[in-house]
Amino acid sequence: MIIPMARIRVLGPRDDLDSTLAALQDVEVLHLAEVAAQPGIRRARLDARRERRRRQLLRVLGDVSAVLHGDDASGGRGAREPPSTAVLATWACEANRVRREVQRLSARERALEEEQALVSRYRGFLTAVHPMVRRIALTPRLTSRIVVVPAAMRGTIDTLAALLRGEIGEEFAIDMRSLADGDLAVLLALPRDFSERLDARLADARVPEVTLPEVYRGLPLEQAIPRMIARGSEIAQLLTDGRREREERVNASRAALRQARQAIHDWLSETDAHEKCAVTQHAFAIEGWIPEHRTAALVRYLTRASGPDVTVETIAREAWSADDAPVMLSNPRFFRPFEALIALMPLPAYGSIDPTPYVAVFFPMIFGMMLGDVGYGLLLAVLAFVLHRRSTVGSVQRTLAEVAGPCAAFAIIFGVLFGEYFGDAAHRLFGLEAVLFDRAHAVLAALAVAIGLGVVHVVLGLILGAVSAVRHEPRHAVGKGVSAVMVLLVVGALLAAFDVLPEGLFTPAVIALLIAFPVLIATEGLIAPVEFLATLGNVLSYARIMAVGTASVMLAVVANQMIGTLGSTAVGLVFALLFHLVNFAIGLFTPAIHALRLHYVEFFGKFYSPGGHSYAPFGRWTPSPGQ
Amino acid sequence: MNTMWSVISAAAVLSIAALATAWAQSKIGAAGAATLAEKPQLSTTIIIMLAIPETMVILGFVVAVLIILRGTGG
Repeated sequence: MIIPMARIRVLGPRDDLDSTLAALQDVEVLHLAEVAAQPGIRRARLDARRERRRRQLLRVLGDVSAVLHGDDASGGRGAREPPSTAVLATWACEANRVRREVQRLSARERALEEEQALVSRYRGFLTAVHPMVRRIALTPRLTSRIVVVPAAMRGTIDTLAALLRGEIGEEFAIDMRSLADGDLAVLLALPRDFSERLDARLADARVPEVTLPEVYRGLPLEQAIPRMIARGSEIAQLLTDGRREREERVNASRAALRQARQAIHDWLSETDAHEKCAVTQHAFAIEGWIPEHRTAALVRYLTRASGPDVTVETIAREAWSADDAPVMLSNPRFFRPFEALIALMPLPAYGSIDPTPYVAVFFPMIFGMMLGDVGYGLLLAVLAFVLHRRSTVGSVQRTLAEVAGPCAAFAIIFGVLFGEYFGDAAHRLFGLEAVLFDRAHAVLAALAVAIGLGVVHVVLGLILGAVSAVRHEPRHAVGKGVSAVMVLLVVGALLAAFDVLPEGLFTPAVIALLIAFPVLIATEGLIAPVEFLATLGNVLSYARIMAVGTASVMLAVVANQMIGTLGSTAVGLVFALLFHLVNFAIGLFTPAIHALRLHYVEFFGKFYSPGGHSYAPFGRWTPSPGQ
Repeated sequence: MNTMWSVISAAAVLSIAALATAWAQSKIGAAGAATLAEKPQLSTTIIIMLAIPETMVILGFVVAVLIILRGTGG
């Protein structure tokens, strides 16, 4: 459900503003709102000293965050007092010094990594051409150059070699070797006085020269190559040492920097809150939203923390708009993981319906109906159990496990009803029959059940839409209610026509439809018939439950048939297991996507009102993962 | 003969519906990939949007099943 909110106003002597804000920050329940301007009341502004302090702290925070990047631990609840100039100076110096050292070490690491990549890429080639490079170095007239021809341009090297041989003659030599990525490393031996013209030839052929790391750049090739080969083994050790040094440097200051980060965030947050308040010459006013049931506790807390001069008043419901109120969802423990599925959509508007409980029931049911296999359901249950054991409270994995659990339970229940245990394996081995019907053969029965569920789901959506609209748009609410009744009448008439219901019900159902139709147009307008047809289309869309389910069971049956048809039983068994594994993977993904789609498009379309903004109480800073 | 035409009709219905779905999904997929490059947080929404045209092939499948059952007297 969406928690009812109260809008409150905290009033008190102006001198108590900071202490009241500090108390509110500690109690963390008030979602601050800006106080509306009124005659004699102005927005509280920061004085020049606090404004300057904010700029300084933002700079320090930049340094601290750069050093602590990826560290998501909190800095603990430090002192309430704003940081003194001396403390601020200590933090600023420490953060700046550590950031510069970390940047220096990181730059060295990057250079070493580049060198390591280059050495490992050319090691084989350099070792092979080194004797030739040494021989060339003994002849002062000659020089050697290394170029790389990209894999896509390998053909150009022959043209280039022919061109150079034509221009230089016997003194030109070439040696080449393929690299691991397909590029071609080429050693060119040529007269020293041709070196400048070679640059032009290489530029024309778009062949890049190998750029050596900076440490070797001034050296001739015959000296650079042995050093690079020898460095190969050193670099790994240098990298390890560098990383350890950087980590140790950060660790030495980590506790202090965490504390600084926490205190700065808290102070900045309080400063932002200060600017939302309003003041007169002698008083202050703070406004905000609080869950209705926590108002009394806040009043008691503020009276204790800020004294009797600070008062709290509740603003009348008529004085604020639901559009401004923040949204906080609260659901029973079992339903809570399904809030994650709602979070994929924009938040529901305040005062509308929270669909979480309905999603918590229908999502696993629709998923289970599509997967509908005891074997696959058990596998999913095991996966969910393992994921649950290995995850921490509040993590994505834990939520996933808690959603997967009910899905597995429904898959097992429907598996028993459809008589599916890894497809028809139990039927083949033990002659087990379906309790309800066999989906592989009774396609029409599966279709009827799927459409039946669609009717229930869509009608529920229409009823929720009517309930949601009844207060503000009673006409629209009547229209939704009439649509729901008409869907039921259409289904009743069809069932009577096909002799599922008594034939005598057909005429009354059609007459009721004819009466309801003008009511629908009167309440919803001329577009209503089109929308009603779209609603019937939504019901038919639930046929996908049957389609996906039938595809799943047929794949499982094909997997089982492999055991007898591939000659060897062992080979058939292996292929069958692999096929079941693939089917299981498809059986997790496809039903989840289609169950979500049925909720977001068919179900939510009938009542869901997005547009809420999240309840974010003013409080202490908490690091988010990856901060 | 009747069975043969039923099977051909069912195959045609399913093929046309599948082609229509594939065409729609190719357009949505291309646009979705471009969107993901700029806003990776929309991945779930895009997956859902990709699933929307599948209604066509699913209804095609239903019609094909009905044709087969009717044509073969199943």
